[in-house]
Amino acid sequence: MAANKSQGSYYSLFLVASTVLCAGIFLWSGGMGKLLFVVGAAGLIGSLLGMLSIKSLEGKTAVKSSPLAMKLMGAGCSALGWIITLVGMHLTPSIVGRGILALVGIGVSLFGIIVVLPAAFNKNAVWKS
Amino acid sequence: MKLKELRILSLVLCVLAIALAMGVAAYAQAPAAAAAAAAPAATAPPPAADAQLAAAAAKAPTTADLAKGDPGGTITGTINDVPAADSTKGVTLPDVANQVGQNKIAANFIWTLVTGYLVMFMQAGFAMVEAGLCRVKNANHTYMMNFMVYACGLFSYWLIGFAIQQGGSAGNGNLGGLQSLSVEHTTTILGKTWGLFGGTGFFLSGHTYDVGVMVLFLFEMVFMDTALTIVTGACAERWKFLAFCVSSSLMGALTYPLYANWAWGGGWLSQLGTNNQLGKGYCDFAGSGVVHAVGGITALAVTMIIGPRIGKFNRDGSSNSIIGHDVSAVLIGCFILAFGWFGFNPGSTLGASANGNLRIGTIAVDTMLAGCTGTFGALLYMWIKTGKCDYSMSGNGLLAGLVAITAPSGFVSTVGACIIGLVAGVLVCLSCAFIEKVMKVDDPVGAVSVHGTCGLWGVLSVGLLADGTSNYGGSWNGVTGSVTGLFYGDPSQLVAQLVGISTLIGFVFTFSFLMNLALEYLVGQRVSVETEIAGLDIPEMGQLGYPEFVFKPEPDVLLQAEKQYAVA
Repeated sequence: MAANKSQGSYYSLFLVASTVLCAGIFLWSGGMGKLLFVVGAAGLIGSLLGMLSIKSLEGKTAVKSSPLAMKLMGAGCSALGWIITLVGMHLTPSIVGRGILALVGIGVSLFGIIVVLPAAFNKNAVWKS
Repeated sequence: MKLKELRILSLVLCVLAIALAMGVAAYAQAPAAAAAAAAPAATAPPPAADAQLAAAAAKAPTTADLAKGDPGGTITGTINDVPAADSTKGVTLPDVANQVGQNKIAANFIWTLVTGYLVMFMQAGFAMVEAGLCRVKNANHTYMMNFMVYACGLFSYWLIGFAIQQGGSAGNGNLGGLQSLSVEHTTTILGKTWGLFGGTGFFLSGHTYDVGVMVLFLFEMVFMDTALTIVTGACAERWKFLAFCVSSSLMGALTYPLYANWAWGGGWLSQLGTNNQLGKGYCDFAGSGVVHAVGGITALAVTMIIGPRIGKFNRDGSSNSIIGHDVSAVLIGCFILAFGWFGFNPGSTLGASANGNLRIGTIAVDTMLAGCTGTFGALLYMWIKTGKCDYSMSGNGLLAGLVAITAPSGFVSTVGACIIGLVAGVLVCLSCAFIEKVMKVDDPVGAVSVHGTCGLWGVLSVGLLADGTSNYGGSWNGVTGSVTGLFYGDPSQLVAQLVGISTLIGFVFTFSFLMNLALEYLVGQRVSVETEIAGLDIPEMGQLGYPEFVFKPEPDVLLQAEKQYAVA
């Protein structure tokens, strides 16, 4: 499937719903704000579900499924590195100590991005078949 | 001559002689009279300022003078052009002081707006570079992504992105204070308050319907859009247009504004100096991290999810070169980007008047030099390594140098700028090879390396090479003094920069990855095999980029790969 009218319709709904949702946040303190927020959120979910409903029409893509757990592990590794850095700032007042912990955090994040995630995506890569 | 005539002549001569004598006497007495007049003035108090203003008003050219024209520009712009609050009193000292203040803000408004316009023009450069590096069958699609990202990003930024980023950034004296941007949502950890995201500025309405806020919005918006357009290059030739629209809208609404708030909007990264005594806090002058690394890292996340183009990698893991269709577009695009960078970096002072903003000259020269050495770094690396002068890597070298100098441009010397650019030029070549050959990630234009890798290098270089000579009003991020890197005596600044880098690859990557993974399951990020083989122009856009061109067949290796997919 290529671009089509349904895609355009659902993206239009996405934009309108986003606008209503943000208006709800802007006017949150009033009763109208909460109503707009709910309507906008419903519209946003509706637009995404609409896009999901026409997704299968796209047909076969040149990507094979890869293990979701491994992808999440890679993302988790990346986030863990950031957390190490954040915690490190409060663990020690030493500049050197904080610097070392920041480097450890960066290393852990890079391990997730450079090692784990490529391994996940390339495990069943189409170019291997 | 008769006697009568002689008498008349004598009388005239006498009158003339008397007049001459009186004139000489008057001339001789004039200095004395002036001195006599000046003497009491030396001891008396000077005339009141308002009296001086009245005298100036009296001497100012009249309407009749101005009506004669002013070819030399000497009588245009006088006290008559200063508006008086009370026309019956004429111009007073408070009127003049107000005008001076408004002139400062006006100069800063003009500077910020014009540099913002330059940055906006960079979209054209990005479009040409990215489309030129893609195949002709995808030209329309690539150009359209670069075109539409402007609208997608701008709209979502107006809705909510600006509020998240700058909603709590009141206090910028260059643009008049911006006091209406007064709400920053915070959290308290171990007794210290950290900013998380802003809360005013939705739709630019309410109290943020303000002239200064509008200027800031325009400038920050074009920066945001630059980050978004980086992703389109890395995902070119296989990104479904619908997925691109949704992903770009969300990035402009959430991903970019969050990190930008932490760095520029009064968020926790900028508070590392005041709260944790780490240098002047995280310093990113014009956005190597905020703009380019955010764009490059998001591009990496999306590119991983989308996967490589058909035919990019062989069964043994080796890669094929898929060459672009237009060298001229690529190199002209690079020049447009380099031109736009003079808005990007010098414009980030958000003003040309006061608070040390005259450093804009140094910033502009630093920008030029880093681009120059970046080009040399990439060109010479490729020339020595392959024996050829690679145009695409030379262009990427220019951009890499410019990306890297973006964060440190306000803090380093010209020597530092040359070093930063040169390192970036070599780094972009190494990074492109690593991402393609080791990670097996297909990035058609090298966006991840140019903007991601070199953006991170730029952030790091602030912590190394900031020379402590800049002085933007005496402090940065609320910490007194100038930004100073490790090599100039402040190791704590380097740690602050490392925390920023960790946040980029730890938070921004993870956030972008999970958001786009969700879109992959909900919307589907990639076009079908048939669409990809045919080229995205007709299936997605309904129109070829170059309808009168005759397509040259793909190289054998790509044809074989496409046949394999077509059969399967």
